[in-house]
Amino acid sequence: MNKVAYTAFIAFLASILTLLSAHVLSQPGEERSHDDLDPITLDELAEHGSAESCWKAIHGRVYDITDYVPNHPTEEEVLLEWCGRESTEGWDNKRPGVAHSPRAEAMLERYLIGRLVDDSGEPVEPEPGEPAAAMPESQAKQATSPAQDERLARALLGLPLDGHYRGVFTDRGSIQVNITFDLRDGHIESLSYRHLAYRGVDYLALEEGDELYPVMLQHRQIIERLEGAPITRIFALYEPESMVDDIDGYSGATLRGAKVISAIRDALNRGVYAWP
Amino acid sequence: MQRLPKPGDIALIAALLLPLAVALPRLGGLGGPPELWLTWVGRVTGILALSMMLLAGLMSCRVPGFDRPFGGLARLWRLHHWLGFAAFILVMVHVLALGLASVPASLAAAVATLFPSPVQGAIWLGWLAWLAMVVFLAPTFGFFGKPYYQRWKRLHLVSAAALLLGLWHALLLAGETWPWWLLGIAGLGAIAWRKGMAPQRRHAYRIEQVAPLARGVVELVLRPEGSGIRHEAGQFVYLSPLDETLSAGRGEEHPYTIASSPSDMQLRIGIKELGDASRALQSVTPGTRVLIEGPYGEFFGRRFPKRDMLWLGGGIGITPFVGGARDLAAGGGIAGHAHLFYLANGPDRAYYQKELEGIAEAHQSFSFTQHYSRERGRLDEAFLRHHCPDYAEREIYICGPPGMNQHLLRLLADQGIPAARIHSEVFDFL
Repeated sequence: MNKVAYTAFIAFLASILTLLSAHVLSQPGEERSHDDLDPITLDELAEHGSAESCWKAIHGRVYDITDYVPNHPTEEEVLLEWCGRESTEGWDNKRPGVAHSPRAEAMLERYLIGRLVDDSGEPVEPEPGEPAAAMPESQAKQATSPAQDERLARALLGLPLDGHYRGVFTDRGSIQVNITFDLRDGHIESLSYRHLAYRGVDYLALEEGDELYPVMLQHRQIIERLEGAPITRIFALYEPESMVDDIDGYSGATLRGAKVISAIRDALNRGVYAWP
Repeated sequence: MQRLPKPGDIALIAALLLPLAVALPRLGGLGGPPELWLTWVGRVTGILALSMMLLAGLMSCRVPGFDRPFGGLARLWRLHHWLGFAAFILVMVHVLALGLASVPASLAAAVATLFPSPVQGAIWLGWLAWLAMVVFLAPTFGFFGKPYYQRWKRLHLVSAAALLLGLWHALLLAGETWPWWLLGIAGLGAIAWRKGMAPQRRHAYRIEQVAPLARGVVELVLRPEGSGIRHEAGQFVYLSPLDETLSAGRGEEHPYTIASSPSDMQLRIGIKELGDASRALQSVTPGTRVLIEGPYGEFFGRRFPKRDMLWLGGGIGITPFVGGARDLAAGGGIAGHAHLFYLANGPDRAYYQKELEGIAEAHQSFSFTQHYSRERGRLDEAFLRHHCPDYAEREIYICGPPGMNQHLLRLLADQGIPAARIHSEVFDFL
């Protein structure tokens, strides 16, 4: 037993030393310069957002990992969630706070296809190691001064910024109202329900003739009548009968307008989901 | 030498596989390209190695009685030894497999996996654990020769650091941490008990008499100062002498077999000079105190009660049989007929002989045969058969120096006696 232990120990040391010396002595391979990579825009990236073709942008580079997806140890869903978009966050947090291993990094490089650029062709993220580029002088001059910056002014006053918003009302663990809208100059635009349900009934799936169909129509009326209205108009929903028509015996008074208000306020609390 | 798994073994295997069973669903399959199966091998070996280390720690607790489900302390130490050995090998497989798994990606990735940036502390904790392991196992496996026993014992305590570092390494990397908390607390708790609590719980005895039996052999007669230990025939204890005039081994603990019967109010221990500590004990001052921890072992514990017994004792290995014969004479726990063959070089080395002959004359259930190798050479089958015709049908117990044990085991195996019926408890490495 002693001989086996000693032999294994020496063999282990020899293997580790061989690995280290082979690494030190081997010539580093030619790494492709960042600038030589094909530029890929966020829109192009977004076209590859599925298991059929999965591209991901990580630290400013774009990788086509379609072939690797079936081999990844984690469930596919988790992996596919990040396809077609900027995935640095997912990469750096394999588990919360735990980045992928050096081995995974090396494997990732095999799937490199390009660099991420914005619409004007500028890199979205500078090369690692490059100093976080100070704003070029010409651009700095163009930038709005804080005194003139409308968005800054609204943010400082706690007013909602223009942009795309999403929000939900949940009760006892299930989502009842999920709403999305744009805010432009403080007015609601493109308001729509992503989800509308109560006690297991999916209102959006109701058809004419269903008992609760009129209630769904009343919810539609809410949307139509808030379209183009200033955001402050949502509080009119505290009295829904003033907003919607009575249909088939359902008066506006039976509507839970407060839930829609709540979903919209949730969206505002969350802040801008995407810039316009 | 029993082949059947013991209750302790089954519990041990279950505990050993627990962390692996919990982690296995996360580890994926063994198939696929080399980088995937090497990763699998690397993780599985890492998990098993740490389980083994922690359980080896747990088994070192040496709580009296805890050794019985494992077939006695000597066997428990052997399991401990094997677990440590296997863990040491598996840890190295673990490191190599994970390193090699990155080689298909690139050599740089392999090196970065094994030696990452200092920020990734978990990996470096693993290396520190391995280093601590080398420090405490190198003397155990005699990498640089056999060290002095007490020095080995002190170095072996580095194992606590290795366990702690290994555990930390795993807790940072594991998906499910509760099995590691469970085994970690058990393993480190056992070491803490062994080194912290257990020494306080030894039993104090006073040396009443130091009876010389032969050159270099004495029997210590001890009287408990408080409540003494309760033991069975053939068990052994750890004894730490406190006599300040001792030239060596004062306060050190060493294992010695009990030669008295359980019903004896005094504890009698036969001691032969085999090392510095036992040599010093030959001239220990009567009236001084010793500390006793135990009892351990189950020399007669595995006996098949319907069978008569054949006892083969030699050298200081006669002591468990002296305990057995005295127990038999006192009408104690040992039942059935026992035939003792005392293998000695010559009359000057046959200590206890007169007493044993006396017991044989007075009790029908005990027979005694003396064998002198200086006159007859090594014990042979004819001698055995002549004095004990039904020896092959008996439950056989052997205790003696290693050479004698090997000779007897070979002799008995040649007669087709199944190994399960032959018992011996060797604690030469304790």
